[in-house]
Amino acid sequence: MQSGMQARKYRLQGAGLDLALPYLMLAPGLLIVLGVLIYPLWDGLRASTRAYRYGSPISNVGLQNYLHLWSDAQFLNSLWVTVKFVALSVSFEAVLGFALALFCLHEFRGIRLLRTVLIIPMVVTPVVVAIVFRLIYASDAGMLTALSAAMGGGAVQILGNPLNAFIGLVVLDVWEWTPLMFLILLAGLQSLPHEPFEAARVDGAGAWRVFADLTFPMMRPVLAVAIVLRTIDAFGTFDQVFVLTRGGPGEATRLISIYGYDTAFKFQQTGYAAALFVTIGLVVLALAFSAIRLLRRIDAS
Amino acid sequence: MSTRLARILTTTFVLAVVLLPIYWLVSTSLKSNREITQEGTLYPHVPTLDNYVRLFTEKQFGSYLTNSLVVTFFSVAIALIVGAMGAYAIARFRLPFAAERKVGLFLLTLRIIPPVVILIPVYLLMLHLGLLDSWLGLIATYTAFNITFCVWMMESFFREIPVDLEEAAMVDGDSRFGAFRRITLPLAAPGLAATAIFAVLVTFNEFLFALALTATPRAMTMPRGTATLIGRIDTDWASMSAAGVIGALPIVFFALLVQRHLVRGLTMGAVK
Repeated sequence: MQSGMQARKYRLQGAGLDLALPYLMLAPGLLIVLGVLIYPLWDGLRASTRAYRYGSPISNVGLQNYLHLWSDAQFLNSLWVTVKFVALSVSFEAVLGFALALFCLHEFRGIRLLRTVLIIPMVVTPVVVAIVFRLIYASDAGMLTALSAAMGGGAVQILGNPLNAFIGLVVLDVWEWTPLMFLILLAGLQSLPHEPFEAARVDGAGAWRVFADLTFPMMRPVLAVAIVLRTIDAFGTFDQVFVLTRGGPGEATRLISIYGYDTAFKFQQTGYAAALFVTIGLVVLALAFSAIRLLRRIDAS
Repeated sequence: MSTRLARILTTTFVLAVVLLPIYWLVSTSLKSNREITQEGTLYPHVPTLDNYVRLFTEKQFGSYLTNSLVVTFFSVAIALIVGAMGAYAIARFRLPFAAERKVGLFLLTLRIIPPVVILIPVYLLMLHLGLLDSWLGLIATYTAFNITFCVWMMESFFREIPVDLEEAAMVDGDSRFGAFRRITLPLAAPGLAATAIFAVLVTFNEFLFALALTATPRAMTMPRGTATLIGRIDTDWASMSAAGVIGALPIVFFALLVQRHLVRGLTMGAVK
């Protein structure tokens, strides 16, 4: 037995060149990541402690950039807008996606067409999604205005009004990402064991009881993962806002990524923007790790 | 009967919500600017392909498309080759201090951080290397991003393949790397395809880094080029909608073609 294990280990680890093999296989990927991601990450940390003028560092300011963030009304507002945007969008996507997944769980005619069509929103280039919604919302050429005109109404104002523009952005995100939620939750539903559901049917449990006592509790881990994934992704939303509203009107849709981009590239405050991005990175990582911890607790119970 | 009716109604409603915006994009792209802003028609009364012709004759969409295809091809291909090797090493070898697991976790952590976080330093890096507005700058950036999730996805595909098969090949005289190349890699092909498709999708659609790193049609990708049509005070709706159609067409066509693999790639990880 012992010698068998030894032989197996020898075969697996090999000798000579084979011993170096794992390192040789890992090296190219790690080198690229080190050069293009890790070095910039470190460089970004360094930049975040400096003040810049015309794109060149002029002095070390320690943690001042970070401290300044919390008294910057524009930063705090963009953070608040981002949190509102993420919370609203992801909630709608989760509820709609779950409902749609339950609906599609039973085979019926037309379901394949439905599934195919639902792939479109999430694969269309985000920039183009934003163009699509500009064409819907535009007060002169938009679909809403055209529809309203066809029914005898006037021009519809969406992107010019702060509240409407924000809602319009949430609608865009829900249109684009509900399908992903749907696909993940459908895969989750399809992987649930059959026995408990058959037992419930034999017992004559109603549809609502089955959902509340079986489906929902069993789906909780998948639902949690899907929500965490979407939340992390939504936090970094940039393309759609950049094209749809550029953050406006005023600051109504200025997400944190847009504010950071403008700070860096429009106002040339490189160090301050770097501090802002490091902060976002830390917030998202903290979010992700606490979510993972929560998931482990759900798994354990 | 009532369930059937409810199903038909729900299906129709969902299809309408998804497809109406797309219809409006395509329909607008076939109208003249005058028809779009002044007549507000619900479908093109005088359909025209002028908007599309203009994109390629006046607005260099040919270059954007070439740039997108070149950049996507190379950054996905390199990430797949390099990523497959890394993923295999993580899935199969036990290194001192569990180094292989730490590398895996590390890459996953990098994947979680929103890319916008390193936008500024990557821009500065490419500026110093003289790689702004070049294919190489974009390819290097996208390759690195792709590696972080390629390794992670492919690792789980390699784990599903029994070690015994490789051992058998090695008993027959294959080297470890030979066994990986001839046995494991072909068996993991469906998983690799799912990974590749996901990478193509993400790379082709990327906008933020293309926005910061490119400035002329020499290197601008499709999303970046499309966005240049926007932001003027007087919006050219006709060109913009045609650009939207051209910008999205290749990737939507591709996605529908490989639908099955795509769904696998998009949903994996979440269910496991």
